[in-house]
Amino acid sequence: MLPPGAWGPSGEISFVVPALPHAHNFWSPPTAGKSLCSNALDSNPMSLNEPSVPPSAPRRTVSLALFTVVVLVVAGVAVAATAGYYALQSSSPSSSGRTITVTDDLGRSVKVPWDPSRVAVLSPSIMDIMFRLGLRSHVVGVDCYAPALGGLSDDYSPDQIALWNLSSSMCVEIGPTFDAESLVNVTPQLVLASTIVSVAAVEEISTTLGIPVVMLQPPTLSGILVDVSLVAEIFGVTTPAQSLDGQLSAELYNATTLDQTLASFPTVLVTYDADSNGYWTFGPSTFGQSLIEIAGGASISANATTPYPELSPGQVLVADPQWIIYGVGFGLNESTYAGAPLWSEIPAVQHGNVSGMDSNWLTEPDPTMILEGIPALVAILHPAPS
Amino acid sequence: MAEVLPPRIRVLRPVALVLVIAAGIVALLVVSPLLGSVAIPARDVLQIVLHQLSGGALFPQSCVGMPTNERLCGAYTVIIWQLVIPEILLALIVGAALGISGGALQGIFRNPLADPFLLGISSGGTIGAAILYVYRIDVAQADVFLPLFAFLGAITTGLVILGVARGRFSSVETLLLAGVALANLLSAVLSLILLYNPTGSVQVTFWLLGGLGLATWTIDGIAFGAVVVLGTLLVLHGRELNLIQLGNDVAQSAGVDARRVRLRVILLASMATAVAVAFTGIIGFVGLVSPHIVRRLGGNDYRVVLPGAAAVGAIFLLTARDISYVAFPGSVLPIGIFTAFAGVPFFLYLLYRQRRSTTMGAM
Repeated sequence: MLPPGAWGPSGEISFVVPALPHAHNFWSPPTAGKSLCSNALDSNPMSLNEPSVPPSAPRRTVSLALFTVVVLVVAGVAVAATAGYYALQSSSPSSSGRTITVTDDLGRSVKVPWDPSRVAVLSPSIMDIMFRLGLRSHVVGVDCYAPALGGLSDDYSPDQIALWNLSSSMCVEIGPTFDAESLVNVTPQLVLASTIVSVAAVEEISTTLGIPVVMLQPPTLSGILVDVSLVAEIFGVTTPAQSLDGQLSAELYNATTLDQTLASFPTVLVTYDADSNGYWTFGPSTFGQSLIEIAGGASISANATTPYPELSPGQVLVADPQWIIYGVGFGLNESTYAGAPLWSEIPAVQHGNVSGMDSNWLTEPDPTMILEGIPALVAILHPAPS
Repeated sequence: MAEVLPPRIRVLRPVALVLVIAAGIVALLVVSPLLGSVAIPARDVLQIVLHQLSGGALFPQSCVGMPTNERLCGAYTVIIWQLVIPEILLALIVGAALGISGGALQGIFRNPLADPFLLGISSGGTIGAAILYVYRIDVAQADVFLPLFAFLGAITTGLVILGVARGRFSSVETLLLAGVALANLLSAVLSLILLYNPTGSVQVTFWLLGGLGLATWTIDGIAFGAVVVLGTLLVLHGRELNLIQLGNDVAQSAGVDARRVRLRVILLASMATAVAVAFTGIIGFVGLVSPHIVRRLGGNDYRVVLPGAAAVGAIFLLTARDISYVAFPGSVLPIGIFTAFAGVPFFLYLLYRQRRSTTMGAM
């Protein structure tokens, strides 16, 4: 309840700013050593407990006008933003207004606009597909994991950020806490995501925000080709998809043919990080493992009990891999691995059979993994005779 | 009320304790080298150890007569002599440091729940390690920088606590509360660092759970020297801790300045804990449970409790290491998990026994 006297003579609400000791009233210069507020307080014997005497009439009018203007501006901006969002959603569903139903990698049946012009791509591997299919102009939002995008981690390399022309204004914050506002801000008609986006976030996007979400998480190398076809179907791009599919199929075929001609597979440790306990590597049912096999290598961690085990230095010594391939980028280089125990004792290191490789090629299930990763691994494990 | 025992038992108890501890350490030293992430035949292990210990006098060529081939023999030699034995020694050293720190802090705080990590010292070490891993500050030399960062973090926290302890009106309760508050603050800082830097969070998590992966002969030497010096200084406070148990007034009348002793013991225990944290990360429960085991077996005399807690802590940690390899062969798992697995059931059993004997005595 407002104190007595808070209402002005004409019934409008007035605002009383308590006088600050040793400070000027910021509304006007002090008069005769006293602020306007202190004058007002002085004029009312109850003012100490109930500082409710309104300022003089002209100042009250100014404050009211200011308050009204601020309220109107805020309300206007809010209405414009909301209207803009819904206008964008409704006015540009797709070039044809047509929708199609697709089944994503998680087996979800999703109704999506055909050839949408505004897409949020929440995974670097899907961004790779979009770029290679010539669909970069459709991308209005990306997951902002890369520090260069204002994000948290290193999923996008600086090269990718430059090549794909990504900027921090496109960022959608997906982890560790999904930020729905940043997604709404880019006004997408469709979201393409991988499982780095949490189930709760997918639910929020599709149900609460009403934006369709297609999950692209290929289970195998050949699943990457399936995802390329799926994206091509959504955007109706036939020729680039056929071309990319041809390149990917040819690369996989060449690698498989090589495997059949090899007398033996060299043993290899492919590690993506190292610390004082040993070397982190790929176990069964991982893309790293699949890459090693198709490139004609025999992983020393093929029979590990977990997908991403850490091998102790002793285990590596006993397994005695002929090659060690380590992931580089994101702050990792050969000295990272050389800092792990017994690095210099490993025979492969002593023989110089050690090589670095872009970590993205080992971990991101996208066309680049096949087009760059497999040839790079083959070149290391089976160098062409000079 | 203090336990009153017949003179013969009072003499025999420490002797029995020493014998039990000695037997335990000898048994573990025989068994532990056989356990590791790589299964090596017992005969090979014995031959390699004897070859190295005798400087080649006993077995001039460590692999002669062994069923393994030359390459494997070379690998086994490196594994045993550069990984397994240093790891075993580090477990003993760190276990001793945590045990004696726990005993000293329980004595100085007169609180059975006090342990080396209660004051937030470990949390400080964690922040140091997290900064190294998350920002990848020369990870290539992690064996040097990781202990350094962790030690600096831990000892800085210890010094802050000491700053509180130096206050004229600081009480034991104030210190404990300050430690708990500081630990919570540092934990929040760690969460914030990891939240905004997922890179390296796996390593930090592993470090938080403790490990012996940094063990080398050099690190063992540094840790051994530090723990021997700090442990000896703590043991020398045994008589004063005994008097403090009777109350500050009694201690004062016996010429013991409880406040000064408190400062010295907290400083020494903090440094010993910082050494342990620096080389192995956070290994909980050893410092809490070891002094209790010694009190059950050897009585409440802190001249016995402190060295006893060091020995029991050493045995405890090495046992936890061995259990980790038996339970999950071929895996590299944080040892901190297993100190709880091994320690909690035993600790609960001791508490049960104690309660039972107290109830029986009251009848």
